[in-house]
Amino acid sequence: MASGNGGSAEYAIDVQGLGVRYNLRLTRKTTLRQSLATIVRRGEGERTFWALQDVTFRLVQGESLAVIGPNGAGKSTLLQALAGIILPSAGGLEVRGKVSGLLQLGAGFDQELTGRENIMLAGAFLGIDHRDMERLAPGVIDFADIGQFIDAPLKTYSSGMRARLGFAIATSVDPDILLIDEVLATGDQVFRVKSKARVLELARAAKAIVLVTHDMTWVTEFCNRAMLIEAGHVVAEGEPEEIVRIHQEHSEASRLRKAAEAAALLGTDAAAAAALGARPPGAGAL
Amino acid sequence: MDMPQEAPAAFRTSAFRTSAARPGPLGLVAEALHEVRSRHRLIRYLAQADLKKKGTDTLFGNVWWILDPLLQMAVYVILVTLIFQRSVPDYPLFVFAAILPWKWFTTAIGDAIASVSGQDRLIKQIKFPKIVLPSAVMLAGIAQFAFGLIPLAAMLVLMYPARISPMLVFIPVVAAVQFVFTVGLGLLLAAVNVFFRDVGILARHVLRLWFYLSPALYGAAVVAEVGDSQPIIATLMRLNPFYTILESYRQAIYDGAVPDLAALAVVLIGSVGLLLVGVVFFKRLEPAFAKVL
Repeated sequence: MASGNGGSAEYAIDVQGLGVRYNLRLTRKTTLRQSLATIVRRGEGERTFWALQDVTFRLVQGESLAVIGPNGAGKSTLLQALAGIILPSAGGLEVRGKVSGLLQLGAGFDQELTGRENIMLAGAFLGIDHRDMERLAPGVIDFADIGQFIDAPLKTYSSGMRARLGFAIATSVDPDILLIDEVLATGDQVFRVKSKARVLELARAAKAIVLVTHDMTWVTEFCNRAMLIEAGHVVAEGEPEEIVRIHQEHSEASRLRKAAEAAALLGTDAAAAAALGARPPGAGAL
Repeated sequence: MDMPQEAPAAFRTSAFRTSAARPGPLGLVAEALHEVRSRHRLIRYLAQADLKKKGTDTLFGNVWWILDPLLQMAVYVILVTLIFQRSVPDYPLFVFAAILPWKWFTTAIGDAIASVSGQDRLIKQIKFPKIVLPSAVMLAGIAQFAFGLIPLAAMLVLMYPARISPMLVFIPVVAAVQFVFTVGLGLLLAAVNVFFRDVGILARHVLRLWFYLSPALYGAAVVAEVGDSQPIIATLMRLNPFYTILESYRQAIYDGAVPDLAALAVVLIGSVGLLLVGVVFFKRLEPAFAKVL
């Protein structure tokens, strides 16, 4: 395993005891009234929430790490922390090299600007020098393959075209570390094949990749490490096949549990319906 | 690929990031200065996109930037000269000289307030200095103000040629003072609005009251009249930075006189102070934006 290699200089990503805490009092479009109310009722209920706790791992150049887990487990929060979008509340992390943090495709796009102008805008958001971006633009346009539309405003694009343009930008800026969040499910079949090839190419060029996905074929085919996160904690880490197996066992277990719960709820409903007696079906909806 | 020598902040090899203390106020101001300088191109792109959006939403597009202040002037001219029967010589020019900068101020503040909270998706997906967002919309506001100078010039040439004077050169001076004040207040409100959306709603009403308390529809003479019976209120009205700002515009455009430069200097000093407070406040709250939005 890579984490056993010595020499700290090789690490592209070094995460030590990372914790990210959210303050529930301030999140989600609060108004002054609500927050005054919570301040007055201080101490009542949980006011903070740990989205991630005690996450420790290291990634060397050339490794591609898949982060999997159920929805809301903290996968995207981990990517946000790696990208520097949010600061750690506990522990710390170091990311060495250029990070391409287009976590979701098309972030930073403006509807009124043309595709070409949006390439420059996205580059500016990523902090890339405009001369470099002008040099990269033809390659991006070529890869995104959106033809005449490149000079039309973005609002005329289909969602597939937008995703292709976003992916082309994120991967063409030659990052040392590529952070990807569920971008590969978008686009048509041809583009999927093309984007897989592009990611493989980056991985071969000794780049570190952190990929958050629900597509298990990606995890086993293209990642050489995997990490399972559940409820903010790293549950398992290691060989992709092994981690995917554990994840599938866990999700099967939780699916069965939910099915049982649903059945129980349905059962009580059925019992209630029976107790109501001779009502015609559908009348209960009133 | 070889990177440019001075890689921008987002790409520079980072140190170990922890929840450790942020730099002090001076460090934050220096950081903000560096961010605005190194990301000037991003600010320009965003400002252009903002102007483009405002131009394409409507049938008349950017023509509205000229028509809008003129129509607003017409409303006030009708209200004041016909209904309130106040007679001020050349009242259209008198009121236009104040409406134009005030419109710039309210638009810029409104846009700044919405600039950060409206970009929640972006902030959660890309690391970039958030100060570029309010900076860009407030810069775009300058263009709208400049467009408004076209009907002002037309009015002077066609209707009031006698009022044209070399004092018009003071317009950019007063505008610069107003801009510093606007950016300071805009940054402050933009940051608070991320946490409390009440700011945006409240601001509309506060700005309206502020307008009526500023010498826009009336001049310094009316404030002096108020002072005869209620000296305290008149003094408070004169402490309003827009008392000095609007009066200075009016002196340069309408009276053809040198504005009260000493008063303007005081407003400038206060505005620089406000700008520093705004920058430090914004930078302090910035790390929490991605979590709160």
